[in-house]
Amino acid sequence: MAASLDIAAKDLRQRVRDRSAILLAIVVPLALAAIFSLLFGPASTPRPFEYAVVDQDGGPIVAAFEDEVLDYLESEEIVSVEAMGEEEARQAVSDGDLDAAFVFPAGFSEAVQSERPVEVEVVGSADSPTGTDVARSIARSFVADLDAARVAVAAVAHQQAGTSEDELSAIAEQVATAPPPVALRDVSASAKVLDTKTYFAAGMAVFFLLFTVQFGVSSLLEERSDGTLARLLAAPVRRTSILVGKLLTSIVLGVVSLTVLVVGTTLLLGATWGDPLGVALLILAGVLAGTGITSLVASFARTPEQAGSWQAVVAVTLGLLGGAFFPIQQSGSFMATASLVTPHAWFLRGLGSLVGEGGVVDVLPAVAALLCFAVVTGAVAMTRIGRVVAL
Amino acid sequence: MTSLKIAWVNLRRTFRDRTNLFFLVLFPFLLIMVLGLAFGGQTAPRLAVVATGSGPLTEQLVEELEASSGLDAEAFDDREAAVTAVEQGRAEGAVVVPEDYDARLAGGGEVVLDYVSSADRTAQQTGTIVASVVDQQAARVTVARVLQERVGGDLDGMLALTDGTAEAVPDVAVAATITGETVFPEDLGRFDVGASGQLLLFIFVTSMTASTALIETRKLGVSRRMYATPTSVRAIVAGEALGRIAVAVLQGAIIMVGSALLFGVTWGSPAAAASLMLAFAVVAGGAGMLMGSLATSTEQAIAIGLLLALGMGALGGSMMPLEFFTPTLYAVAHVTPHAWAADGFADLIRRDGGLGDVVDELGVLVAYGLVLFAAASWGLRRSIARA
Repeated sequence: MAASLDIAAKDLRQRVRDRSAILLAIVVPLALAAIFSLLFGPASTPRPFEYAVVDQDGGPIVAAFEDEVLDYLESEEIVSVEAMGEEEARQAVSDGDLDAAFVFPAGFSEAVQSERPVEVEVVGSADSPTGTDVARSIARSFVADLDAARVAVAAVAHQQAGTSEDELSAIAEQVATAPPPVALRDVSASAKVLDTKTYFAAGMAVFFLLFTVQFGVSSLLEERSDGTLARLLAAPVRRTSILVGKLLTSIVLGVVSLTVLVVGTTLLLGATWGDPLGVALLILAGVLAGTGITSLVASFARTPEQAGSWQAVVAVTLGLLGGAFFPIQQSGSFMATASLVTPHAWFLRGLGSLVGEGGVVDVLPAVAALLCFAVVTGAVAMTRIGRVVAL
Repeated sequence: MTSLKIAWVNLRRTFRDRTNLFFLVLFPFLLIMVLGLAFGGQTAPRLAVVATGSGPLTEQLVEELEASSGLDAEAFDDREAAVTAVEQGRAEGAVVVPEDYDARLAGGGEVVLDYVSSADRTAQQTGTIVASVVDQQAARVTVARVLQERVGGDLDGMLALTDGTAEAVPDVAVAATITGETVFPEDLGRFDVGASGQLLLFIFVTSMTASTALIETRKLGVSRRMYATPTSVRAIVAGEALGRIAVAVLQGAIIMVGSALLFGVTWGSPAAAASLMLAFAVVAGGAGMLMGSLATSTEQAIAIGLLLALGMGALGGSMMPLEFFTPTLYAVAHVTPHAWAADGFADLIRRDGGLGDVVDELGVLVAYGLVLFAAASWGLRRSIARA
């Protein structure tokens, strides 16, 4: 054990002295997380849709639309509304400065009350399909009530000829004031999705983790090509101790770099990683999985250069599939399921389950999955790596 | 002549390494494929619909939700699965129609549908579309109930009367017109929007990482030996420069041709697209050569090169289209050559532009290239002379 610790301590000293290791393990992921969250953060925060109302009518119905419907949506910050002239509004929508405009023609209120056909026009921007759809939906909801009264009156008048005008207006009144038989109630679900800052911090941390932990077992290959491995083997040190020492190097490097990144992104970027114990478990399990995978790759390589480049290929491919750069888990496509073959996806999913009230119990599935990666890849690596230590 | 030979050696060295082949050939397509499959063509907010009951009103409601433009409705078997989808961000909201929906409405009762969402703004905006579908059905049921009271009959019969009358009565309509130009025309394929960004990203990444060859050349003493031969420094520098550009151009050509063949990506006018790619490759080659001549170790060069290439790519709109940037960031983004090249490709791919439309962008890129190569030549001369 003492020998393992000596070997690990020597390797760690070597790594700390080599500044490019710190660059790749801490500085680059931190800088990229900062750049990505600065750039993509604002765009991923949805804004209220910007609408204009063109009221050429000046009547009570348009006023009701503005006061009852739009004011409410504006107070909920779902939309923002401005009154405008028609030309100005159309131009603004066409230029993409507004998402949509409601154009009420002159005589709209009167036409609604006198049962003449009439239209409200929703002018939508080609660049804001959802903004246009929302505007159209708002108008349709409003118009549905106006139409309902017309339809009820017409149906009764047709079925029972000779119904008095008074009775017909009573029917219109009844339709207008009836409590809606179907209503929509908002129920909030706790989002288990990382916010932009935390997502990029976590994505970059787990992506570069596979580069950080590769130093351990790969350094066996390095020692072999430098000739120091032969000397180490000649010394009264058991082979397993050498191996344990190398694995220890990887684990310490991984845990330290991830911890620094968690603290750094929390302080510098305002990332919120969640329950510390849960995060700690994920870090440990993630580091073990990363160590297992990079050891496995190294066990197939003949030279340290070969190990390095193969590990880069594996790290980049797994990072891409695992959603370290793009939130593939949220895409809902089969790629989201496919990404679960990577430890990255499990690490990020585990962090997602910590959002809100999540605690240690919630991360256990992700931790278990990561440990599976560690055990399987680690076991295969250890059976293969014997041939490196034997030489 | 010597310069061409040096360039050729550079190119061969890059492509002899099989790992480089992965990063140059396989990886770009893997990325384009993953992004296209995961995110391509997805624009409308996603709504999870849970309707376990049956009956005409339930069916009509679900049909209307599915037909609603602005929603991408997906049926879920139970509430729990739908809520999980919302929690994990796979759907913006979920609407739950109770099992006895039809029965309760037929019995004259009131029904409340749950709209489950994380209550952020997108979810609320999606909610207004759902509410509109619900309101329209509510209005229809209200009319049918009033008719039941006045005319008499069951709800189904009165709904039919309501629908029949609605068709005959002049209605208050909502007319929709769309104006303006789309940034992303609808006929763009699912791989089209991202492809030009990835082209620029990879040309730059490859150029930066491949330029570590310059450091090796120095370390292995190849520069020294070349310097000792009767080859002028000018020829060596020119050769290395050509080599850097050749690597970048080759990476660009692989992605453009490959993505067109594999994913049917359209690049617009071939002459203009090729010119933009060449101009950008010159910039990337210059940046790579500058870093290769300044960096002291391969590891350092790779770390800094990745940081610069990914950082500039992100800022230059290679990961998210520039149109989504805030005005300030949009202006800042144009410090990077990526943003100028991206503007040029947008002209070609989305607006069917030609060579004449990208003259400005080409000019800026060539200027970048000249400045970078001037600096890099100076750096390389210095390092060769020192070696």
